[in-house]
Amino acid sequence: MAKFSRTWWGERFIEALEQFTDPARLKRGRSYAKGGKVLNYKLSTGEITATVRGSVNPYFGVYKEPRYKVSIAITPISVKQWSKVIQEIASKASFVSKLLMNEVPDRIEEVFAKTGLHLLPHSSKDFKTDCSCPDWANPCKHIAGVYYLVASELDHNPFLLFELRGLSKEALQKELAKTPLGTALSQQLETVEVEPKSVDSYFTRPIKQKTENATLKEFWTGRKRLPKAIETATPPIVHAIVVKKQGDFPPFWGRDNSFVEAMELLYNEVRTRNKSIGI
Amino acid sequence: MHIVHGTWIPEDRETFIQKGAFWLWVEKLPESLPEKQKTPKHPYALSPKDLKEFLTKELQIETLDKRHDPFAIRYFFLPSHNKMPLPSPEAMRYAAFEEPEEFELSQWEVPCFELQNVIKKLQHINFICLTNPLSFQPAADLLFWYHYTRSFREILIKELYIPGLKYHAAAARPARKGKMKNTEEFAVYPCWEIVAEKYDEKIKKYCNHMPLVCTAGFETPAAKQTEFHDREGLLRHFSECLLQEIITETKFTQKLDNQIKDTLVHYCAYPTNMLQAPMTNQDGLILYKKWASWKEKLTVASSDAAFTLGFRLIEARSNNVDYWVVEFMAASKNDPSMQISLSEYWALGPQGKRDQEKHFGADFQKKLLLNMGFAARIYPKIWDGLETQEPGGFVLNLNEAFAFLRETSWVLEDAGYRVIVPSWWTPQGRRRAKIRLKSSQSDAKPAAGGGPGKGHMSLESVIQYSYELSIGDEQVSHEEWQELVNAKAPLVLFRGQWIELDRDKMEEMLEFWEKHESEQQGLTFQQLLKMEADNSESIVFDYDDALAGMMDKLRDKSRFELVDEPAAFTGTLRPYQRRGVSWLDYLEQIGLNPCLADDMGLGKTVQVIALLAREQESAEAVLPTLLIAPTSVLGNWEREVQRFAPALKTFIHHGPKRTQDKKEFHEACANNNLIITSFALARRDEKLLNAMKWQRIIVDEAQNIKNPDTAQTRAIGKLQADFRLALTGTPIENRLMDLWSIFNFLNPGYLGKQAWFKKFFEIPIQRDNSIVQSEALKKLVEPFILRRVKTDKSVIADLPDKVEHKQYCNLTKEQASLYEAVVQEVNREIDKTEGIQRKGLMLATLMKLKQICNHPVQFLQDGSAFTEERSHKLKRLTEMVEEVTENDESLLVFSQFKEIGDALQQYFRQTMHCNTYFIHGGTPRHKREQFIEAFQDEDSEPSVFVLSLKAGGVGITLTRANHVFHFDRWWNPAVEEQATDRAFRIGQKKNVFIHKFITIGTLEERIDAMLEEKKSLSSSIIGADESWLTDLDNKTFKNLIQLSKEAVLEE
Repeated sequence: MAKFSRTWWGERFIEALEQFTDPARLKRGRSYAKGGKVLNYKLSTGEITATVRGSVNPYFGVYKEPRYKVSIAITPISVKQWSKVIQEIASKASFVSKLLMNEVPDRIEEVFAKTGLHLLPHSSKDFKTDCSCPDWANPCKHIAGVYYLVASELDHNPFLLFELRGLSKEALQKELAKTPLGTALSQQLETVEVEPKSVDSYFTRPIKQKTENATLKEFWTGRKRLPKAIETATPPIVHAIVVKKQGDFPPFWGRDNSFVEAMELLYNEVRTRNKSIGI
Repeated sequence: MHIVHGTWIPEDRETFIQKGAFWLWVEKLPESLPEKQKTPKHPYALSPKDLKEFLTKELQIETLDKRHDPFAIRYFFLPSHNKMPLPSPEAMRYAAFEEPEEFELSQWEVPCFELQNVIKKLQHINFICLTNPLSFQPAADLLFWYHYTRSFREILIKELYIPGLKYHAAAARPARKGKMKNTEEFAVYPCWEIVAEKYDEKIKKYCNHMPLVCTAGFETPAAKQTEFHDREGLLRHFSECLLQEIITETKFTQKLDNQIKDTLVHYCAYPTNMLQAPMTNQDGLILYKKWASWKEKLTVASSDAAFTLGFRLIEARSNNVDYWVVEFMAASKNDPSMQISLSEYWALGPQGKRDQEKHFGADFQKKLLLNMGFAARIYPKIWDGLETQEPGGFVLNLNEAFAFLRETSWVLEDAGYRVIVPSWWTPQGRRRAKIRLKSSQSDAKPAAGGGPGKGHMSLESVIQYSYELSIGDEQVSHEEWQELVNAKAPLVLFRGQWIELDRDKMEEMLEFWEKHESEQQGLTFQQLLKMEADNSESIVFDYDDALAGMMDKLRDKSRFELVDEPAAFTGTLRPYQRRGVSWLDYLEQIGLNPCLADDMGLGKTVQVIALLAREQESAEAVLPTLLIAPTSVLGNWEREVQRFAPALKTFIHHGPKRTQDKKEFHEACANNNLIITSFALARRDEKLLNAMKWQRIIVDEAQNIKNPDTAQTRAIGKLQADFRLALTGTPIENRLMDLWSIFNFLNPGYLGKQAWFKKFFEIPIQRDNSIVQSEALKKLVEPFILRRVKTDKSVIADLPDKVEHKQYCNLTKEQASLYEAVVQEVNREIDKTEGIQRKGLMLATLMKLKQICNHPVQFLQDGSAFTEERSHKLKRLTEMVEEVTENDESLLVFSQFKEIGDALQQYFRQTMHCNTYFIHGGTPRHKREQFIEAFQDEDSEPSVFVLSLKAGGVGITLTRANHVFHFDRWWNPAVEEQATDRAFRIGQKKNVFIHKFITIGTLEERIDAMLEEKKSLSSSIIGADESWLTDLDNKTFKNLIQLSKEAVLEE
């Protein structure tokens, strides 16, 4: 199988920010985003608001966990410009396919560049940020935390990019409907996220139930006779075929090396290291 | 007899992670069964001490476990009666135990052993049981788990599992005072998940096979109610635990660990910590959501479209070998012939596109792009084709095209896409590199049109041939071949067509060719078959027309031209029997010794007789043939030869008066065509038989030489003959050592030495279920074995619905002397009596003589042993019943005597351990119905139904049987017919075989002859009973009952 890589948009978003902010300060946001400190995170067209849990610090007389309000406003792209960009996107099957699968096309910046625009933040002018914390530096830990949260969402919701730059879902759908391929894409926006399915037991739990009215024969031998021949299986022609069906670098795979290759290796080791049981 | 049981028992505690273990226990019935059990201890289960000894000594299982004690008590609900558990059916077969009418389920304490490494150990136990069938056997519950674990390996072999996560929303804890919880409580655990539709099918299928007893085991005693585990839940629980255990206990390499570090896959491979402390934070939830959406698409991707996206690979032309085009296409799911290439589709106008949507769905474009995106995830090259508004396809270079053919096409196809590849890549169209054998002399061809006996190759005959290298059907020179091997590309254009080259194989072939090219000595056919099988992995052999014709005939036996029925053969061969005779004749001609393994009832005997008769027509002098058979069928062979080829001079070498003088024996042989002897004498008279040179040795019931180490088998192997022939009615391919032994007689050396055979075939096939070895062996032996079964289409067409066959047998010495005594007494008495008294004497005599012909015990009624040594009839019946049940068929046995029915039922149960039922006049109606229902159940083991002629005559349907035996005769054919029709009723889909036992040289044979003559007479003349026989005059009656000399046969 041919190898391929995946672009991590969240990472590129952070890298873009690093061009015009203090990387060290920015990094401090990572633990904020991961530690679940960002509450009430909300993204509406061109603006992000959130409440962030601050830290208790008796030295500064902070004895109770403070809550800070953060807002980030991003310079929007004008409707007219958006129209051009969307036309461009909807004219390439590869872009539409990727967006249909909730991925950002790798070369999407090219489209923006054609119209003299940038999709990712380009300069500090693009951002107007505010935080209610006493820290005067920008970005403060709280703003940086929200940046990281945005970054992680970008990895599996490409449409966020459009919204960040001022194009509402409705407006995007309207624009997309102008081309045949775009129409196909606009329907995708309707799909909803899956809710976690809770299970009651780790392994399937056998249920205890009242006995069937079985005859002696059924008790000892089962309803049907065992097959005469023993079932056997041969190794597949192509390995790891099950996980190959969704391509490499699935969203849960946070590494730069190939998931498919790692799984091929794992399957192979399970087989070769259990030769004694005949697999 | 020890019966080994075992099942999976889940832990009793219903914690979130509920584990389980596999527990073994062993049942052994004591000589005499105790009356009542006062404690809940299972009385027939081995105690922990005995269990330990049995496991170590007999099953060779290590019982020492440093971590914990593997022995424990487990609690089973078992069918019980009168405060005693009932023995399992396997145990019951070895005990005189009457099944009670009713039973209840009670819980018993059973000492158990915890089995680790279940898949391997079950395989081990099963193999040991197979090789020691007389001392212990697995119970149906253990066999079930063995079968299931074998089948379950498919999940591991075919890689049908993925790393996963389980999300568990914890029950909401009461909120603490003053604190509001605004986040949900949950835990996320790493796991392994099976993803395959096949798995669900497998579970469903095996639930139907699972004995209820598998669900009856518990870790702790039940409080009150009798509750079992549900079958499906238990099977899934077992499978999931097993998968988890196997994967997490695999010692992964450092290399893999590095590749999966800090990922979900690592959590799943080393789950111990996380199973104790699962993820409970947002990161865990996000990881779960990402995984869940991935998994959902993995299983449902693209299944809701009305069309299938397809890829067609168009091969490159010779002037541009790096220009291979993959064309996108769509095919309707409803009508797969409805296809369109996407370039064509985009070129359509709006109306044209709308027309297409009728076939491919209204949202065709969206689904198309989505599907292409999914496909591109599998195969990123597809993106190349999507850099446009109207994607039509993309281009590959030679290496990419090869990779596409080799791998990508399989993945895409498996993911539900359609892939069309050039015809030269398909198995039918593929041209392979091979070594071609060209026969250079015409003597490889069997003599065309020659009379029988002519054109026989002796064993030393060889085929002269030369080797050629070839691709497809074209010969390739040594240089050209070398050039192809040296070419770097995996696909090459060879004489205008693309082919794939396997260089390693081609090099091996070249090496073989260089080594053998100059050889000129030639090969026998046997060597040729062996060479082909030995090299089958690396070398493909191809034959020129003459050789190919011969090979095809050997592999496809339906291609034999029918030989003419020999003039000396007075019967009529059915078409498949003529094919059989042709096959036997042909194999002998090319120097191979065959094994005729047709199903019982298809007429192996007549085919052999026809072969012998055919040989007699030959102009050349033919040496006599020696036939070795079980004593119980010697008389039958003689009778059949008399009937079908009276010109064939035959004598039986048997009995205490047989000649031991070499010269005399030599003369006797010279004056006969066929000499028949028993297995026992083949050993005892080894020297006498060995001094002769035979045309052919025939071994009937060849399973008698299945044990290669016995003196008997060795003695038979030493006999000198041009040809050898083995006959058997059981499928010998299934017992490999038997197969080896029979082949060692037929074609010594062909299957190698015994130890070699065990190592390369028996263990890999029977213990490890190796398909490769099994196929290899099949290829080796197939040309030598002709086995047709009753259900073969070609056979059914030739068979009447009812096939009647008379089975002749002799009297033992004991039977004969009893018979003689009765006859002499009657001869004295009969002239003195008259009227009613005379009739009474005649009827009583007939009764006594019939009893003697059945078995001495029946006549003596002295409670002595009902053994087969005392009656050839019983011996032959037992052999035949064994053969029938081994072929998975059921049968009826009729007798007019209740005491014989009783004895037979007992006998079959105890010696053959098969299901046996018996009904007679006194059987209560509900019992009768119960027996019939059990017998008719297609899902039960093959069974024997014994019926008394009167009780079983009417109103019963037993269509599961396709063999009917009449153990003794009723002297009215209509009554016998009526009985036979129990099996031959509406609903009978199989041919029915009727076997009527006739004792040679006794009243049975004479009355049979009379009945044959009177067949045309209506039943009114013969009458409903035997009283018509009393109308005979004294002289005729005496003639009727007298014993002729040929009747007796002693060991």
